[in-house]
Amino acid sequence: MRVTDILKWFLFVWLAVVIIAAFFYVRPAEGFIGESSRIVFFHVPMAWIAVLAFLVSCITSVMYLRRRDPKDDIRASVSAGLGLLFAVLATTTGAVFARIMWNAYWNWDPRQTSITILLLIYAAYFALRSAVADPEKRATLSAVYSILAFVTVPFLMFIVPRIYFSLHPDVITNADPDNSLDPAHLKVLLASLAGFTGLSVWLYSVGTRIEEIRHRRRQEVL
Amino acid sequence: MTDLTGIMAVTMIIWIGLFAYVYRLDRKVSRLED
Repeated sequence: MRVTDILKWFLFVWLAVVIIAAFFYVRPAEGFIGESSRIVFFHVPMAWIAVLAFLVSCITSVMYLRRRDPKDDIRASVSAGLGLLFAVLATTTGAVFARIMWNAYWNWDPRQTSITILLLIYAAYFALRSAVADPEKRATLSAVYSILAFVTVPFLMFIVPRIYFSLHPDVITNADPDNSLDPAHLKVLLASLAGFTGLSVWLYSVGTRIEEIRHRRRQEVL
Repeated sequence: MTDLTGIMAVTMIIWIGLFAYVYRLDRKVSRLED
């Protein structure tokens, strides 16, 4: 068995334990209806992976513009796709939480509005990619777009939701010790963040390898 | 079975399914690379 296989099975066990801990190890947090607070162990890591993937897309786009290596373009598009997928999952889990807490899946809260704008921005990235036939032109245009798109991420994810009044709980980054996570919650949340980060690295690796094979085959046909 | 156990079971099934799918895909990609 190779080291990478051991790591994959380790990731499997790790996230399985996180799932069990999220449901049975921690008690529901105070101030939330029923068991709804448990969604934080999945919702926060999904949002974290989305931001991380958009950052990787931005960095690899800069690398493409500097080196003009098609592999960087592949890395940028795969990580943007991963970011979009996890942003959709974070929005969905957030809507489930909103339904339990505020009796509506969607209420145009600043968080919900800003993530919708972010989803549209990155959906447009893929619309742009599919609209340009020439591979080099497509790679250059989408690299520039990806960098510009990432400029909006800190504003939409971190600044805008804090400028306006939001119903969204802010127990992770606030400075109030009475309103922060208890140690058991924090432990499971950090374990979940680590597990989801490992999962996203694996998905990114598989995604880039698939695209590289496709790219090689297209080159062989030409 | 309580609601919580049911939701946990569904979450676990999703994780097992996702892991199996990505693991098989990863092996297939490795074969294509060789």
